[in-house]
Amino acid sequence: MNPMDLAVSSAEGAGMLGGMPAFAGATLMHYLVVSAAMFVIGLIGFLTRRNLIVMFLCTELMFQAAGIALIAFGRFHMNHSGESFVIFVLTVAAAEAALALALVVLLFRRKETLDGTAWKELKG
Amino acid sequence: MLLSLMIIPLVAAALVPLVSKRQVPWVALFGTLAAMVPAGSVLTSVNWTAAGTQRLEERYGAWLPDLGIALNLRVDGVSLALVLLTALLGPLCVLGSWTAITQRVRTYYGWLLVLQAAMYGVFMSQDLVIFYICFEFTLVPMFVLISLFGSTNRKAAAIKFFLYTFTGSIIALAGLVYVAWFHATQMSAAPVVASVVNAATGASESAGALAKVSAWTFDIPTLMKTAQQMPLSAQSWVFLAMMLGFAVKVPLFPLHTWLPLAHTEAPTAGSVVLAGVLLKLGTFAIYTFGIGFTPMAAVEYAPVVAGLAVAGILVGGLICWVQTDVKKLVAYSSVAHLGFCMLGMFAMNAAGLQGSLLYMINHGLSTGALFLCIGFMYERYHTRSMHEIGGLAKRMPIWATFMVFFSMASVGLPGLNGFVSEFLCVMGAYQAEPTKELSGLTGGNLGWKYAVLAGVGMIIGAIYILYMVGKVVWGPLKEPHHDDAHGANGHAGAHAGGHHEGALPADLTGREIVTLLPLAVLCLGLGVYPKPLMQVLEPSVNDHVRLTSKARAELRELKGLPAEDRAIYLKNQFPGKGAEGGTGGEGEKKQAEPAKSTGDFTETGK
Amino acid sequence: MQLVDTVMSLLSLATMGASDAALAGGAASAHQLGAEPTKMGPLALLIPLLPLLSVVLITLCAVFKVKSKLPAWITVASLATAFGVTVSVWQQVSATPGAHVSFGYEWISFSWGNGVGQSFAGNFSLYIDQLTCYWMLFVTGLGALIALYASEYMSHDVGPGYNRFFTAFSLFVFSMACLVMGDNLLMLFLGWEGVGLCSYLLIGYFYQKPVAVDAAKKAFVVNRIGDLGLLMGLLTTFAVFGTIEYKEIFKAISTGYTSSGIALQGHWSGIVIPALLTAGAFGKSAQLFFYVWLPDAMEGPTPVSALIHAATMVTAGVYLIARMFPLYTVDPNLLVLSGVAWAGAITAFWAATIAMAQFDIKRIMGYSTISQLGFMFAGLGVLTTTGATFHVLTHAFFKATLFLCCGAVMHGFAGQLDLRKLSGVMWMKGWGIVGVAMLIGCLNLAGFAFTAGFFSKDMILAQAFVTPDTKIIGSSLVGWLLLLTALLTAYYTFRVFFRVFVGPVQYEPGDEHHGADDHGHGHGDHGHGHGAAHAPAHDKGHGHGHDGHGHGHGGEFHPHAPGWAINFVLAVLAVASIAAAGLYFVNKDEHGWAGHMMARSSAKFVAPGEHHGDHAAAGHTAPTDEKVADAAHASAGEKSAKDEELGTFLGQDPHKVMYYVSGVLGLIGIGVAFLLHKQGRTQAATSPLAEKMLKAPIFGTLAPHAQRKWYVDEIYNFLIRVPLLVLGHIFHIIDKLFVDGLVNLAGAVPVFTGHSLRSSQSGVMHRYAAGMAVGVGLVLLLAVLVMI
Repeated sequence: MNPMDLAVSSAEGAGMLGGMPAFAGATLMHYLVVSAAMFVIGLIGFLTRRNLIVMFLCTELMFQAAGIALIAFGRFHMNHSGESFVIFVLTVAAAEAALALALVVLLFRRKETLDGTAWKELKG
Repeated sequence: MLLSLMIIPLVAAALVPLVSKRQVPWVALFGTLAAMVPAGSVLTSVNWTAAGTQRLEERYGAWLPDLGIALNLRVDGVSLALVLLTALLGPLCVLGSWTAITQRVRTYYGWLLVLQAAMYGVFMSQDLVIFYICFEFTLVPMFVLISLFGSTNRKAAAIKFFLYTFTGSIIALAGLVYVAWFHATQMSAAPVVASVVNAATGASESAGALAKVSAWTFDIPTLMKTAQQMPLSAQSWVFLAMMLGFAVKVPLFPLHTWLPLAHTEAPTAGSVVLAGVLLKLGTFAIYTFGIGFTPMAAVEYAPVVAGLAVAGILVGGLICWVQTDVKKLVAYSSVAHLGFCMLGMFAMNAAGLQGSLLYMINHGLSTGALFLCIGFMYERYHTRSMHEIGGLAKRMPIWATFMVFFSMASVGLPGLNGFVSEFLCVMGAYQAEPTKELSGLTGGNLGWKYAVLAGVGMIIGAIYILYMVGKVVWGPLKEPHHDDAHGANGHAGAHAGGHHEGALPADLTGREIVTLLPLAVLCLGLGVYPKPLMQVLEPSVNDHVRLTSKARAELRELKGLPAEDRAIYLKNQFPGKGAEGGTGGEGEKKQAEPAKSTGDFTETGK
Repeated sequence: MQLVDTVMSLLSLATMGASDAALAGGAASAHQLGAEPTKMGPLALLIPLLPLLSVVLITLCAVFKVKSKLPAWITVASLATAFGVTVSVWQQVSATPGAHVSFGYEWISFSWGNGVGQSFAGNFSLYIDQLTCYWMLFVTGLGALIALYASEYMSHDVGPGYNRFFTAFSLFVFSMACLVMGDNLLMLFLGWEGVGLCSYLLIGYFYQKPVAVDAAKKAFVVNRIGDLGLLMGLLTTFAVFGTIEYKEIFKAISTGYTSSGIALQGHWSGIVIPALLTAGAFGKSAQLFFYVWLPDAMEGPTPVSALIHAATMVTAGVYLIARMFPLYTVDPNLLVLSGVAWAGAITAFWAATIAMAQFDIKRIMGYSTISQLGFMFAGLGVLTTTGATFHVLTHAFFKATLFLCCGAVMHGFAGQLDLRKLSGVMWMKGWGIVGVAMLIGCLNLAGFAFTAGFFSKDMILAQAFVTPDTKIIGSSLVGWLLLLTALLTAYYTFRVFFRVFVGPVQYEPGDEHHGADDHGHGHGDHGHGHGAAHAPAHDKGHGHGHDGHGHGHGGEFHPHAPGWAINFVLAVLAVASIAAAGLYFVNKDEHGWAGHMMARSSAKFVAPGEHHGDHAAAGHTAPTDEKVADAAHASAGEKSAKDEELGTFLGQDPHKVMYYVSGVLGLIGIGVAFLLHKQGRTQAATSPLAEKMLKAPIFGTLAPHAQRKWYVDEIYNFLIRVPLLVLGHIFHIIDKLFVDGLVNLAGAVPVFTGHSLRSSQSGVMHRYAAGMAVGVGLVLLLAVLVMI
């Protein structure tokens, strides 16, 4: 298999199932590209930015990228497991966000900075 | 009954966190004393000195049936002796640490009790896995005891002790597992062999039943039968693996360096248990598995092991002589002493094996007692350096009496326990001469050279022990100068100095005397009348002699050497001239006798 | 269980009264080697057990902190009783011929088969023949007397020290009884090391003196070296004979075959076993290379020197050879015995030369003991067990006397033993008995005519010339060397007597005080410093703080004349020393009492190859008294059974002329000593003629070296001790650096690996994330590549 095959097969699938009214031309490939783009943006952001909050936002971005991919696959396979999974992930992410931000606040209090590289306790 | 031996200390250990700090030593004391009750009933429930193999078995069924692991316990003569030694040293260790341990009391006594249970487990276990678990588990309490309660360099000592012996044991485990695997493949490959093996074990029916289910078993007697059928090459590898593991524990000569460090740094009770019992785990394992599983390899490599043992005796002894730390000296003397033990064991004849087993007990008693003595001294002076202390007989006559007594037991003075075992080990080595042309020899592959070198070791033993006694006990009184204690009060023995809440008197207290007295009585008793203990050990020794002489015969066959047959030699020797007068007839009788008994072992037991 | 039985039977014995042991009667006959020994009741077991009981009781005294002379009385009573029992046992043994065996319990015995030599029997049993009785009679008798002496001598230490002393003392007699009475070599070994321990404890009695501690250690270690020989001899005996029990060994020798059928004739064991046993004997009896411990052992209290290091323990080597004499005569060439003879003679001469130059009178006695032991060994070597054992007996008495006299002096003059600082002791008030006893002892030691020492020494000297050189290599040379030694002996003995006991009354107290347990401060080292280096002023510097026992210092010193116990014991011993001469005339046809006893024991000499015939005689013909006499003759070697050519002394019959020769030599020695040390001497420190001698060319150069003991200690230290110690240090370093280093190296591998990977762990979150991303990317790439 190669990416082209995937695109062809997803196009076939979309056509077979009657297509989608609003984005009739959009195939699975489009969604996946967006998802991948979002994920890479998030990853690059996480690796390059030092601000803890921004880094956290980047992880959220990667999360959502994964969500988009899941929904796209769910739609592609014409079942709801992708969507239900995403709802589950969103719930967890919400809880996580609360915790993570709280942690960031605590970390900020410790060192009066949001610089992620200030924390090097694991240095060997 | 056997299980309760393990459970009682564990229950006591569980109680330790629940009681108040002051009661903890009492709990430990009662726990260890209570464990003596089942130990005593084990002693009395079987007539151990009766002829034949005596044993006491308890089966608690399968634990992991898929792998054939079962909780089965058994005590025979050898393990009985070691179990009793463990039971005896338990309360003595508690008594010995009564005033020495004032911090983290719960941790200390709790782990001491757990250690006790693990040691019982090693000696009684009938399943290889349970044995190994207990064997390894002794490391944990010991690690804690050394690393938390030791002297200055305790952390390094504890880590070295743990890693060194652990590494060795892992290699030994590989060997043991190979044996189990060999058994399993034998079972599945040749069901006929398997059923023969199972029929042969007889006593271990349940293990046999398990084996039918899974083909795996860790039942020691079953594995022993199979392992002995391994070809020489396989036996050699398994033997090597086991020796690497267990010889570290013994410790055999080049693998000994953890011992002086661990002993020196360990708290008194730690040293006592270490010297008294933990080292015996190694010798016990070599006796049971090294010789029991792989007799042919053991016979083949006996000169190597015995050579290392002799090297340990000589080198260890000479190193003792240049020590300045009393405890280190006694620790190195353990290297030399255990050398005797291994030498006797690998002579693999009745005298050597008896001596070796007796040595395990006797070394536990005398060296354990020496460590207690040194501990009592250390509690008073906070030094073990022979440069700083001397002539303590003046200050502590009772202590000095005990010290000299146990030193003499350690030197191997006839009439005390050390002599019996040392003599038998040397005798065994001497008797294991390759030639059997003389009636008093048993055949083997050591010989008089080993005995002479070990005898030189006995001289060196006298030198270093007397050097220590001469420095510490005799001579002009020399005490370390503590500003706080050497005041006008004059009784310098009590170095109160804020170290203890209640300062110890100059000489031993009643508690300390009670700690040492049982050991002294046993040292004397086993030296004067070792017969009962020797009778207890005899069946096992005879089994081993039978096993190794069979292995020796097989080995000779394998190498195409003629069989060792004394009858042939005697036939050539007797010119028929001695057959005159009264004794001539006797000569004839004696001539006929060896001819019919080709093996040189008795058919006792079973 | 047997132990219990034995104890029970002993108890019943004690209640019912002695000698209920019924003995099988029989015609009196000689000890026949290999004949089945008679079973004996447990009475004999009392001999070792009584001192043991004493040990237990005195230990109890120590526990209950008894502060009286009770321990001494316990010891004296138990040893005296043991002596009584010994006499009774002796009577029984004399009534029934041959050896007797009394079974105690199984000590170290086990078996590994039913075949020949497949069981080891090291029982606690006794083997009693005339040799045993002979030895035990003087061990227990002298033991009791010396314990009585010590009760007074040690009275300074009443308390813990007293208890300690008498515990070790009783334990010594117990060990000695085991040594002498045991029925196998293992029992002998038990006693052998047991006496070694007691010797160690008693030499180190004044344990605060480093010299004493070192001496004790030296004694133990040197003995241990000999013991290794004994142990190996024991094991070789077992290997060859399949037994270590005397009766079985003797039986094998008498038949010529061991129980497993090995022909002993010409077997290597005939040389090896005796040689190994001899090494043990040399160690214990301070012969040849092993003598160095004995002079130092004089650091112990004097009663100890008298009993252990003169009379009993050091003669254990003689006992061993006498006991195993049949083994020594298996070898037709008697090679080992030749070695024993030469070793004895050389040691005798060597020690005598050192004794001549010493100043410490106790040390002189110590060297003279070595020298006299040399005589005994030479006697054994030249095949007169009778002479050797008779000399053991006479020496036990007169040397004990001499030591106890020295002890009395030491006791009275606060430890003064330097013969240059004492003079005319005999003329002081209350010292008469000591002086006379000393004179008697000296006359004996010097071999003055008609004293006991004269007769016993004479037997050895004569026999050395009688035994042909073909039999014992260089036997007559041994004799000449011994004659020369006898001359030196007479000289150094009377040097002590003329310097210390007669002449002008002059003294200088020593620095010794008793009571190691009562005095905290260090002891001086009497008898350690020697000769010129030992200036009087130096001595006076010591001894402050000594005020306890009525020996005030600083001009007010009064010699402390001996009390009744010391005087009584000295008188008894002096009389016994004279009376011992009478034993030479008892049983004259068998060469005295000693010969009578030896002929009925294993010490009887039977020429190699004749054991077998001997046994045949035992088996077939009823032994007669005539036979006994014959055997005795053989024992003394006066008339061998075969008509061998006997040696002569300058063409004369040695037995006839030796009396005169040795008598005259003794007189010459005494005369020289008189000239050098009595004639014209006006002060304690020196005498005019001796001064002149020391300036003479040869003596003047040799004397200081002899006084330094020919540097033997230094040589040993340099050749043996130091190399071993260096080796120990080297091993220790190797152990730490190399053996442990390898272990640490193995431990360092993971540490090094960890260190080298350490820099990859920056601790920065971004790096980890990047690493993870790269990792995931790589995995994906791999997956894709695989899919393609």
